[in-house]
Amino acid sequence: MAKDVKPTRKNLMAIEDRIELSERGHDTLEQKRDGLIMEFMDILDQAQDIRSEVEADYQTAQQKLDMARAMEGDVAVRGAAAALKEHPEITTQSKNIMGVVVPQIEASKVRKPLDERGYGLVGSSARIDETADAYEDLIDSIILAAEVETAMKKMLEEIETTKRRVNALEFKLLPELKQNQEYIEQKLEEQEREEIFRLKKIKAKKEEEEDEEQEIEADEREGATTASPKAD
Amino acid sequence: MSQEIAVIGSPEFTTGFRLAGVRKFEDVPDEEKADRLDDAVASTMTDDDVGIIVMHDDDLDYLSRGTREDVETSVEPTLVTLGGGAGSGGLRDQIKRAIGIDLMDDED
Repeated sequence: MAKDVKPTRKNLMAIEDRIELSERGHDTLEQKRDGLIMEFMDILDQAQDIRSEVEADYQTAQQKLDMARAMEGDVAVRGAAAALKEHPEITTQSKNIMGVVVPQIEASKVRKPLDERGYGLVGSSARIDETADAYEDLIDSIILAAEVETAMKKMLEEIETTKRRVNALEFKLLPELKQNQEYIEQKLEEQEREEIFRLKKIKAKKEEEEDEEQEIEADEREGATTASPKAD
Repeated sequence: MSQEIAVIGSPEFTTGFRLAGVRKFEDVPDEEKADRLDDAVASTMTDDDVGIIVMHDDDLDYLSRGTREDVETSVEPTLVTLGGGAGSGGLRDQIKRAIGIDLMDDED
């Protein structure tokens, strides 16, 4: 609040420095926000493509699973599912997009050859194999979607934070600082005007006193000149 | 550190993933979802070995508000929902909030 600041030149200079810094920070943050939004738009296009791929793969996988269930029976499908030995694994590394650390997910053991699935070649049917294949494809798409959607979530968080900072500078900090600057400038001008007025008053008073002194001196001199011829 | 994929949902939903080798799964039958799904999601989220959680988009409606928000905004593990189209899993709302526009509007 403007009332809390002491109207001194030192404070005015400090506030001017803070305004300059805040304006520079505001511009930089605005650029960062715009840059992040542009990067986000690129990822969004990619994410939408991956998302449609995931949905398509899910539909295919579900159809194949329904078919396998209908033809082989639920027990056979569940039995094959329970026999799996190799499990898909993911390892996460990170990369930096404009200061936002986003994950890069790498998968292993997602696609397995028939003989490594664990349920045996004799005991299962081609439909179960096809279903397993379809679900392996789906897992591949899910891993891609997870990578892109996590990057999007992280970027959205950063965009929100940056936006909040820009807004705080633009609508809270800078207006308050400018209000304080205006208040101090007005107060200093007022003090200056009072000082000038006081100096003028003092000067006028001094001149008045000098005039009075001169008048007295003149009167005294006049008195002395008029008094001296009479004495002669 | 290598992590795994976890699947949460009805047995019909998880069976396919198990055929692809996913071993971390929570079978919650449809009639028990209202009671058990919240706990299943919460316990999976605390598992450090899980990097990705896969759920059906419709199942998110069974979750309590807090758990749903936690799982939707979680980055590690990250949630991937199926069957909800683009912008599912809270991403659409987050985009609207951060950017100010519904960028997934034309995807409906």
